Amino acid sequence: MEIVLGNAVVELLSQRALFLPQDRILVIADLHLGKGMHFRKAGIFMPRDSGDRDYAVLHELMQRYRPRQVWFLGDLFHSAHNSDWLLFEAFILTYPDVRFVLIRGNHDILAPEHYAALSLDVVPERLELDDLVFSHEPLEHVAPGKINVAGHIHPGCLLRGLGRQSVRLPCFYLYEQVFLLPAFGALTGLYMMERTKRASIFAILPGRIVLL
Amino acid sequence: MNKWAEDWFEFKGWTSYPFQRNTWKAIAGGYSGLLNAPTGCGKTYAIWFGVLADHQKRYEGKKKASGLHCLWITPLRALSKEILNATTTVSEDLDLPYRIGLRTGDTPAAERARQKRQWPEALVTTPESVHIMMSQKGYADAFRNLQFVIIDEWHELLGTKRGVLVELALSMLKRINPALKIWGISATIGNIDEARNILLGMEHPHATMIRANIQKKTLIETVLPDTLEKFPWAGHLGIRLAGKILPIIDASRSTLIFTNTRSQAEIWYQHLLQVHPDLAGVMALHHGSLGEEIRQWVEEALHQGILKAVVCTSSLDLGVDFRPVDTVIQVGSAKGVARFLQRAGRSGHHPGATSRIYFVPTHSLEIMEGSALRYAAKHQMIESRLPYIRSFDVLIQFMVTLAVSDGFRADELFEQITQTHCYASVTREEFDECLLMITRGGRMLEAYDEFHKVVVEDGLYKVIDRRIAMRHRLSIGAIVSDVMMQVKFLGGKYLGSIEEWFISRLQPGDNFWFAGRNLELIRVKDMQAIVKASNKKKGVVPSWMGGRLPLSSYLTGALRHKLNEAQQGVADRELDFLKPLFEEQKRRSYLPGEQELLIEKIWTKEGCHLFVYPFEGKFVHEGMAAIIAYRLGRIRPFSFSMAMNDYGFELLSDQDIPVEDALLQELFSTDNLSADIAGSINTTEMARRKFRDIAGIAGLVFQGYPGKQVKARHLQANSGLFFKVFQDYDPNNLLLREAYEEVYDFQLEIVRMRQAFERISTHEVILKQPEQLTPFAFPIFAEVFREKFSNESLEDRMNKIKAQLEQEDSKHGDRTGKRRR
Repeated sequence: MEIVLGNAVVELLSQRALFLPQDRILVIADLHLGKGMHFRKAGIFMPRDSGDRDYAVLHELMQRYRPRQVWFLGDLFHSAHNSDWLLFEAFILTYPDVRFVLIRGNHDILAPEHYAALSLDVVPERLELDDLVFSHEPLEHVAPGKINVAGHIHPGCLLRGLGRQSVRLPCFYLYEQVFLLPAFGALTGLYMMERTKRASIFAILPGRIVLL
Repeated sequence: MNKWAEDWFEFKGWTSYPFQRNTWKAIAGGYSGLLNAPTGCGKTYAIWFGVLADHQKRYEGKKKASGLHCLWITPLRALSKEILNATTTVSEDLDLPYRIGLRTGDTPAAERARQKRQWPEALVTTPESVHIMMSQKGYADAFRNLQFVIIDEWHELLGTKRGVLVELALSMLKRINPALKIWGISATIGNIDEARNILLGMEHPHATMIRANIQKKTLIETVLPDTLEKFPWAGHLGIRLAGKILPIIDASRSTLIFTNTRSQAEIWYQHLLQVHPDLAGVMALHHGSLGEEIRQWVEEALHQGILKAVVCTSSLDLGVDFRPVDTVIQVGSAKGVARFLQRAGRSGHHPGATSRIYFVPTHSLEIMEGSALRYAAKHQMIESRLPYIRSFDVLIQFMVTLAVSDGFRADELFEQITQTHCYASVTREEFDECLLMITRGGRMLEAYDEFHKVVVEDGLYKVIDRRIAMRHRLSIGAIVSDVMMQVKFLGGKYLGSIEEWFISRLQPGDNFWFAGRNLELIRVKDMQAIVKASNKKKGVVPSWMGGRLPLSSYLTGALRHKLNEAQQGVADRELDFLKPLFEEQKRRSYLPGEQELLIEKIWTKEGCHLFVYPFEGKFVHEGMAAIIAYRLGRIRPFSFSMAMNDYGFELLSDQDIPVEDALLQELFSTDNLSADIAGSINTTEMARRKFRDIAGIAGLVFQGYPGKQVKARHLQANSGLFFKVFQDYDPNNLLLREAYEEVYDFQLEIVRMRQAFERISTHEVILKQPEQLTPFAFPIFAEVFREKFSNESLEDRMNKIKAQLEQEDSKHGDRTGKRRR
């Protein structure tokens, strides 16, 4: 689904990512890669291949949209270094012509050399592109006329209907000047957002986005 | 005979009961066994003097201390204190060199270290503490000379996973000393023989059963409201009856008021104070979330007879006799005959005294239960406790416990656990799968894997990572709770604990009721909620999860019997009172008898409701609702919201539910029942909810180090995520299968549900289509907690909801879609 954010046309992808067609930038938040292995390292038996789907979707996005840049909006890797980093390395090396940028999130605690070895540019807090300001955690103050694109929250929405039916879905969430991206990683949960009139909620269904 | 017992009983001026003498004799004869005796008749001494005599026989004249001679395991810390006091008194009165120590989760580290340097002769402890002892290096030395293990209130542990902890601990202690004597103490339950066999192990050579046979008279009276509310609403009536119980409290010396949940206890305490301010100072509150200090004060004050009334929960169900208590009030359904009678037995402890219990119904239909309880008590319909079997989560925890201390060998452990009732049917393949889970984190072994919870060195399974060992010791046990927050005053005084999710909804400055006081939240810091006392009259009451037991099959049986009497017009105090309600039910719909199943189809603005009244208890209804939904879903895609209480269940859909006669027969048919049960479970959340406890016990969900929650932050994930991941990537996982098996046994109560389907298949189905909700339907309609079923596609459901929302928008301008009453 295409929407206008600030002055830019952006595409909301049902793979839980954002695409900026004009600059060919793919924006992905809260991947939490390596989470399964982090648990396993601590002796908690998370199934071994629980993170595979994430890479499959990443490759699919790369091939379909052929971005020039990929911006990770924080929480790229779940915690301390573990062997799953090798999988991420393999992913990055598949796309030598793409520039990868990480806006550091609260989970991104790896030593700088790990990022440097992959030529992954690390930005401490924010990146600006025209009217859009990208960050991991939503900014407290957004300059007038700007829109803050952020992650961190893992937004989800709860829909209720007749017959006391309800559905929980991940979503994009626009409230005033903040636009929240859904968490990308399969091993992440949802934080239920409030449904107020002033917020626009873009719920994610398999294969499509619906504005509520 | 038992010399010390005779001396001591004489010293006290008491006479021993035959069952006490029989127990002393049996223990002297080297028997193990089960003592079936109610609380408050001297069961502790029946066992204790047997233990003392054995010790004297073995060690008389020897200088060296014997080391641990007896373990006394109780389900409650409060009870441990009581046993410690009772047994210590004997040693002091008779000047015996037999020392008794206490070891529970509250025992300070220094005291534990002192015990280890020189073990007392006996330890009073809990199942969890015994497992923690087994996670310490050299534990076998501590138990080397152990002769006795006493399991107090075994009926309470049986039927829980803590009972499985006991079975495993006993299997280990028996391996250390094959001549170990095991004694259980149990109140009467339906399967008391099975209870003994489970405790003593499959083949115990020298076993006996001793019954106290002390009959107690119980008076049951239902407290009736002045007027009958024809549209009962769960929880609505109870508090209005508060005024009615004041005369009962006044006329009694000391009254225990049992409620089913902690929040209900808080509400009742508040309300009683409001309607009767004189109770301030002589009434107290007691429930499991209150701090130890507060609870101990209440218990002490009860002993001394200072308190006129205590509002409590199951926290005062067990042990500990409060002699001044002469009256018990049960608020709301006790859900089972045994539990109701046990609570009744908390009053009138003197030999020959009568137990007096008043039943306060919380909604009109519940009034009928008073009558049903009297019927069931008269016919001695005492429920059984269903034991857990094949609990792989507890087994995995136990494996790691042993790996943390001295390690274990697979063949030995397999042989050991298959001697227990719980694991008797576990195959070597299943056992090996558990081993794979703790050594490789699953069945697959792949390159670069860093899983190494337990490692194998020369055939010995061991934990070598110190952090894993520490985390494991902190999470031993079979009670899984939510993350709790401590509630403290500014000055540091500890009040108790509340689930984090409740506190997280409050803002500083908000008021809430807890520990019987109105508190203002000041701030939340490091898992502590700092509060100050407030004079405000308004505030939210925390609701705690749990406490949703179903009515037992005996009680529902009695209830159906009473309903039949109501239809026949049999006179009875409760039924007579309910007559107007039954008349209204008859006028709007129909009043079913024992051989009839009533189904009501009613349209409201929420959609099409189907109400069914099998009177089989909440859990069976939950399963039935899922099966009926599943069967309807085969006709065409449906989404249902389902609600249930102990009397019936409701299916609610946004589209018409077809109910032609032929179809109804099919819906309740016993054909293909097994397949349909399996199919329906997959479409509901039942297994997912069961998995929550399993994930906690097996060590998947770690709640963090006490006071160090932040450090483990990156290791937190909820069990729902694990459930989903296992279903997607490891669907045959043993723990996942265990969740489904538990749904069958404990949630659906499969045996009972099958019987219910068979019973119903012989009944005449009465279908009514009333214009409005009926008295039977109303309390189910008002249930907030709902189960879901859907076999429509996400897309279709979403589109429908969206269309409905848009319609609502244009009508009300309200987007929350919340239902209004």
